[in-house]
Amino acid sequence: MIKEKQDAKGLSGNLKRLNEITEWFDKQEEIDVEEGLLKVKEAAELIKASKARLKAVENEFEEIKKEMDAEA
Amino acid sequence: MEFSAENKIFSVAEFIGLLNIGLKKSEVKIVGEVGQVQFGPTGHVYFTLKDEKEPGLISCIIWKSKYMLYGIKLQEGMKILAFGHPEVYAPSGRLSFIADTIELAGEGTLKKQYDELKKKLEQEGLFAEEKKRPLPEYPQKIGVITSKQGAVIADFLNNIGKFGFKITMIDSRVEGQEAVSDLLAAIKTFRKKDIDVLVIIRGGGSMESLMPFNNELLVREVAAFPVPVVAGIGHDKDVPLVAMAADFSESTPTACANLLNESWEQLLLFLERCERNIIVRYEAIFDRYLMMENKLKIFFERFKAVLAAVGQILERAEKIIFLNNPERQLKLGYSIASINGKIIRQTKDAAVGNMIDIKVSDGNIKSEIKKII
Repeated sequence: MIKEKQDAKGLSGNLKRLNEITEWFDKQEEIDVEEGLLKVKEAAELIKASKARLKAVENEFEEIKKEMDAEA
Repeated sequence: MEFSAENKIFSVAEFIGLLNIGLKKSEVKIVGEVGQVQFGPTGHVYFTLKDEKEPGLISCIIWKSKYMLYGIKLQEGMKILAFGHPEVYAPSGRLSFIADTIELAGEGTLKKQYDELKKKLEQEGLFAEEKKRPLPEYPQKIGVITSKQGAVIADFLNNIGKFGFKITMIDSRVEGQEAVSDLLAAIKTFRKKDIDVLVIIRGGGSMESLMPFNNELLVREVAAFPVPVVAGIGHDKDVPLVAMAADFSESTPTACANLLNESWEQLLLFLERCERNIIVRYEAIFDRYLMMENKLKIFFERFKAVLAAVGQILERAEKIIFLNNPERQLKLGYSIASINGKIIRQTKDAAVGNMIDIKVSDGNIKSEIKKII
């Protein structure tokens, strides 16, 4: 239960951070290559983790929904 | 006994015995004024009854067991009604009237006797309200004393509800002084039986016909009965004393039956109310469940949309990151030229002779500017 909460919070946190990164890119007139590269790497990891978590959440949700539909 | 008086020679005792057999069949009620009264050592009472208008006198005996029943203290000059039969007492040859019952007679006498006894028992607290006991919450075992003749028992049974009552009835005479001994015997029998309530019922009647229910012994038996007593003794103007001593007094047998039905009917109504409540509440739970289910379905759809939105956000972020990835540009063959860390965007940013850093996908190239075109 605690882990699920943390994961959910993690996904929300990831999205927030990704938003910050994309905004950063949008605002840059002159991209600092080194910093840009770091942000790209961070974003890539966040996207990878978030996609995995999203998939897990979707699967879990589908299972719950199936169970509920079966009981009804 | 068949015999032929012509052929048979009787002894005196035999003849008296024969006479008494015939006399016993001559049961009558006689009214007269009490003359001399003598109380024998064994408790039997010897008295004379004389005619009020014409010359006439008869010796009477009432046995102790009967005398005790009727609560009348025989006194000279008292006008009474005696029921019984004549009998010849063999040792003396004297004819006596054997009284089985005695009751007061004459205008106002009954009322006077009723009032006196009522006052006496009232003073003893036999009719006190605080003495009245409630019925058991749900009475089941009912003892009934009444006459099996007539409509009274039918009225009672027709009106008693189908609540699983176990009714035991003892048949008793309910009119005239003869009823007293029946009623007392019935009450004594019920004392030994396992009953929740005792019901004594009869139809209405005049004060004379209700006199047994003003009998002192009977009133005391009712007042001291171990379980509540319901009296359904119809009455004229003066309430029978048995009814006053009972825990409940109803006017008719039907009313007695209704009284016994009451708690059961209330229980039935209560159970019906409970049943309705349970159904209504259960349905409400079911409705609530359906409502929750619908809400959950809506939530599922919303959550699904949220997940899709998250997916879209991730895709968009991925695209932006992909497009902005400097490494990608370099891999495509583009390079980044800079002088002292400052990116060269225009020719004015560079001068001939400047050392220039050219970043390509796998490293840096240092070179010198020879010419600016």
